[in-house]
Amino acid sequence: MKVVIGVVGNDVHVVANRLIDISLEERGFEVFNLGVNTYLEEFMDAVIETDADVLLISSLNGEAEGWCRDLRILKSQYDFKNVTFMIGGNLGVGEMDPQLLVPKFEAYGFDLVFHQIDLNVGLDRLEAFLEARA
Amino acid sequence: MSRLFIDVGSTYFKVSQNDSIGQYFRDFNKNIFDDLSGRCGDILSQYTKEDVYICSSANGGLSTLIIGLTNSYSLKYAINIAFNSGINIIDTVLYPKIQRETPPLEMIDVVIIVGGIDGVERVFDERLLRYLEAAHYQNIVYVGSSSDRAFLEQNIENIVILENIISPKLKIQEEALKTYLTDLYQADIVGKEDIKQLYAITANQIFSTPYIVNRALPQVSNILDVADPFIVIDIGGATTDIHYSRDLVEDNIVSQSGYDRLVFKKLGVYKSRESLVHTAKSNEFVFELLEHLNVTENILEEQSEKATRILMQLSIFLVLYKVSKHHAAYIELNLETLNSIVLTGGITKVLSDEEAEEIILFFYKKILRFHRAPTIILDRAYEIWTYGIKE
Repeated sequence: MKVVIGVVGNDVHVVANRLIDISLEERGFEVFNLGVNTYLEEFMDAVIETDADVLLISSLNGEAEGWCRDLRILKSQYDFKNVTFMIGGNLGVGEMDPQLLVPKFEAYGFDLVFHQIDLNVGLDRLEAFLEARA
Repeated sequence: MSRLFIDVGSTYFKVSQNDSIGQYFRDFNKNIFDDLSGRCGDILSQYTKEDVYICSSANGGLSTLIIGLTNSYSLKYAINIAFNSGINIIDTVLYPKIQRETPPLEMIDVVIIVGGIDGVERVFDERLLRYLEAAHYQNIVYVGSSSDRAFLEQNIENIVILENIISPKLKIQEEALKTYLTDLYQADIVGKEDIKQLYAITANQIFSTPYIVNRALPQVSNILDVADPFIVIDIGGATTDIHYSRDLVEDNIVSQSGYDRLVFKKLGVYKSRESLVHTAKSNEFVFELLEHLNVTENILEEQSEKATRILMQLSIFLVLYKVSKHHAAYIELNLETLNSIVLTGGITKVLSDEEAEEIILFFYKKILRFHRAPTIILDRAYEIWTYGIKE
C-alpha cells in the first residue's frame, strides 16, 4: 500500500517525520515522504500523482488546525476513491480540549485523527481501519 | 588559425574574430545568407568552414501547451523544464479540469502531456483525446506514467514517448524532456530555410543564441566586473532572455544544471514590438512607470528613437516583473539577493548607463520596496556570447 506522509505548514519537526517514515516502511507500506513545511495542496497532489491509498499528515507545533481547514474542499475537486485521510501529532495550540480536537479534524474531512497518541498505537489503528475498509 | 564567430540576431549580425566584434544592421530585403555574404564576404573568405561557428536568435523560439495532472508536480516540473529549454508556454491545462478548458486557437509547436509516477494506471482517458482533437499542434510528447504509454500511442498520432519527468519518489527527472525540447528548438532554427543556407559557410552545428549565452555564464565574472549572485538580461529585437543561477530559485526542485534561462518570445523591441506594447499596457505598474519617465502612453505608438528607448526600459521592467514574486506564472527568482545585473544584446547599443539604472531602481523601489538596486553592468561590446560559442 502507498502512503504519502509529511509535516504540514510551517513545521520543521523532521525527526518525528523520519520516524513515521521508518515505522511505515517496516510495516510494509510504500512511503512517499514529502518532508517538512508541506502545504495541504502538495499533499493532495502527491496522492493523485502516486495513486496513494493513504495520506498521513503529521503536525507537531499545532498549526494543522489552520493549515488543514480546506481539506474537504480539496477532496471535492478530485475523485479520491478509497483514499484514507489520517492526521496525527500535537494538533492543538495552547490549552486545547482533546475531546473537541478530534471531532474538529473529522469535520475537516479526516477519517482518522490522533492527538498526542503513541505512533505505533496510531499505526495499528490505521492498519485495522484499512483491513476493515477492504 | 583563428576562428570566426557569428551571431545572427533578428536585427543585427555580430561577427567576432581575433577578439574584435563587428556589428552589422540586417537588410530585411535580403535573406540572411546573401545579407551576411554581402557585408562580410571578405571576412568569410579568410576562414575555412571548419573554423566558422554560428549561433542564431533570429527565430524567436517555440511555443508549448502543457497538460498535467496536478499543479504541484506534473505542471510545475514540465513548466520548469520548458522554460529552461527556451520554450514559451502558451497555456497550461490541469487535467482533472480539462473538460472546462478550450484549446488555444493558435498553432502550438509542441504539446507536453504529463501525469503520474510510473506504475499509476489510467491517468488519461477519452477526455484528453477529445481536447486534442480540437487543438492545433505540430509535435506532441508524453512524459508521464509508463502505464499509460500504450493507450496514448494507440490513440494519438505521432506522439513521442519519453522517460517520465516525475521520478518514483516524486522528484524531477528533466534530462530526457529537456534534451527533446532543446533539440526541437534547435531543429526549428536549423529547419528555417534562411538558416539552412548558412551551412554553406560552416561545417559546425548552428546553435540557438540563448543556449550559447547560457553556456557563457560561468565565465561572466572573468569578463565583466560582476559580483555573485547575478543575472544576465539579453534584450534583443525578437526576444528578451534572462539567464540566472539556479541558486536564485526557491522551488525545491533539485536540478543538475547550474544555470538556467527563460526566453520571452514576445518581449523584443523590434520584431515583436507589438506584443511588447500589448504586454506593457496590461501591466498595472506601467502607467506609473511612464509618468516616472516623464512620457505619456502615446509614446508606445510612436516610431521614434525616444520611443525605442522607452520600450527598452519597459522590457527591462517587464522581464524583472515576470520573474519576481509578484508574477506567479513564471519561475520566481530571489531578486532581493542580487548583487549585479548584466544587460546585453541590442539594448546596450541604445540605452545609457543612467537610463538602465533608472528603470531598475524604479523596479526595486516600486515592486520590491527596496531603497537600493544591484550594480548594473552593460556588456557594451556584446562579447558574452563569444565566450559561450568558444566553449
